[in-house]
Amino acid sequence: MPGILPILGANARQAVDSLARARLRTALGLVGIMIGISSVIAMVSLGEIAKEQARRQFEALGTDVLLVRTLTTMAGSQAISLADAIGLAEAVPAVAEAAPRILGHGEFRHAGRKVGQGRVQGVTAAFASINRMSLQAGRFVSLLDADRHFCVVGAAVADAMRQGGARRIVGETLEVGDILFTVVGVLDPRPENYALPVQVEADQSVFVPIGAAGRVADNPAIELAVARSSAGVDYRAAVADIRSWFRGRSPDLQLDIITAKELIAQMEAQMQTFALLLGSVGSISLVVGGIGIMNIMLVSVAERRREIAIRRALGARRRDIQSQFLIESVILTLAGGLLGILLGLAATWAICRFTGWEFLISGMSVASGLGTAAAAGLFFGFQPARQAARLDPIAGLQAE
Amino acid sequence: MTAPRGALRLIDVRKSYRVGPVTTEVLRGVDLEIGAGDLVSIMGPSGSGKTTLMNIVGLLDRPSTGRHVLDGRDVSGLGDDALSRLRNAHVGFVFQAFHLLPRLTAAENVCVPLVYRGTGRRKALGRARAILERVGMGDRLEHRPDQLSGGQKQRVAIARALVGLPALLLADEPTGALDADTADETMGLLLELNAEQGVTVLIITHDPAVARCCTRRMRIDGGQLHEEDSRPPGSAGSTAPRRA
Repeated sequence: MPGILPILGANARQAVDSLARARLRTALGLVGIMIGISSVIAMVSLGEIAKEQARRQFEALGTDVLLVRTLTTMAGSQAISLADAIGLAEAVPAVAEAAPRILGHGEFRHAGRKVGQGRVQGVTAAFASINRMSLQAGRFVSLLDADRHFCVVGAAVADAMRQGGARRIVGETLEVGDILFTVVGVLDPRPENYALPVQVEADQSVFVPIGAAGRVADNPAIELAVARSSAGVDYRAAVADIRSWFRGRSPDLQLDIITAKELIAQMEAQMQTFALLLGSVGSISLVVGGIGIMNIMLVSVAERRREIAIRRALGARRRDIQSQFLIESVILTLAGGLLGILLGLAATWAICRFTGWEFLISGMSVASGLGTAAAAGLFFGFQPARQAARLDPIAGLQAE
Repeated sequence: MTAPRGALRLIDVRKSYRVGPVTTEVLRGVDLEIGAGDLVSIMGPSGSGKTTLMNIVGLLDRPSTGRHVLDGRDVSGLGDDALSRLRNAHVGFVFQAFHLLPRLTAAENVCVPLVYRGTGRRKALGRARAILERVGMGDRLEHRPDQLSGGQKQRVAIARALVGLPALLLADEPTGALDADTADETMGLLLELNAEQGVTVLIITHDPAVARCCTRRMRIDGGQLHEEDSRPPGSAGSTAPRRA
């Protein structure tokens, strides 16, 4: 059995030389493959980056958050009672914490000067911990405040107060609507995560004890309850437990429960649609590029009939000729693939700049790009290589 | 390898081609026996079947009927891979149009047969250099075919035919594309190599001067082969061919 490596080595050298000679043709073939591979790269990278992005966001802001509210679309629907919202955590083991919210809206004034406009949220202490809110000064409001006119201000509201000359925010008096509140706490800035079920908009808000919210909210009913499921509890089980507990308390309540996990699943489904779109663009251009490669190789085979015949006369077997042309097409598509990887990563980087995601190069995407390129070379090079191998050496030697 | 190498027999070899409904018989019962180390010429007009005969002897083609025995082994029924192997090991071709690979250097061209038997590049290049030096092309190793004259190309081709130590050297009009002086030199080289290395040489030609250099002369006509006359071997190598 002759050594296969020298043959392959010679074939590879020959292939590179032959591709370098037909520059324009090679370049045209490369473009198609390049676009195809770059789409594959962009698809895989963006998929991974988006997944990583979502994972980080949820990790920071909680995948265990769920939202319980009544279906407002139902005519005459009933609101959750304060006692139920507060008692939920104690009564249902799957729920670690629960907090109701009464939502109002108003203008905030300090020392006669407008310092903001936004949500007035009547909450309990658990609301802050469930939503991962932290304080830069003072304390949060709690049930113990009952209906006293204390409030906690969001970071943007506090900044506006500082600009108006307030030194220590805690202890200052804030006009909410036309009612005076004493500031007892200042929140840290908190980026809003619109992927989570509950929109807090903490920075522009003022938080008051739930008992005092009735004075400032147009609708003093409980808008929703936020809850955090206990560690290790599947979100579906928590949802089922909550539903059954409320059914026992007030059977007519039409509950709508949204979980972060559900939203993540939705987001992943969207991402998949996106990836599918990119994937189909990629495969179309790959097929177009592949047909280009096949064409190049067929021309190359036709032009080199004499060379093939000479090689056959010198002892090349059909499979030696076939491997020579297969190597040539694979080298061609791999070169296109490498360019495509660069282009795809550049496109991914640009998209990341645009969306504000963190750019990262995934080994997976580079590997899949190279793998796809090599596979395209084998697939589209197969027929031309086979044709080359089956040429009649006698005819080839006589051809001028 | 069976000794002696380079002995071949064709026994009632026929070859016919069918184009549509028409069958053309190109070889009509050729019998040929060549001993190891023979120096044989076959002359014939075009269309006489000499190229077909060479293709069969060179294992590029198979007889339609009849037997082809190489060093005692019947090769008429071998498959394509086996024929390729055998061609690589057993036969060296020298063509009228040289048939060098235009993109390879002289040394790389000579390496090709060795590559297909799996010899490493470095070793193959070493052997190529040695044989190119033997044919007087030692100072042209890195030249490409388009940088060589006709005679030089044919020397490279002869080196390529011999690098794999074949038993049989098949030359199809080896001097056909060369001027008279270069043709003489080329023939001289073939005769030397035949005497020196004992390789069997079969030359297909229409040039009587070339045929006269050979120890055995045959003529093919209408698909049939006849031996013309023979001279004792040994008186050939010294005789420089003269063109008419």
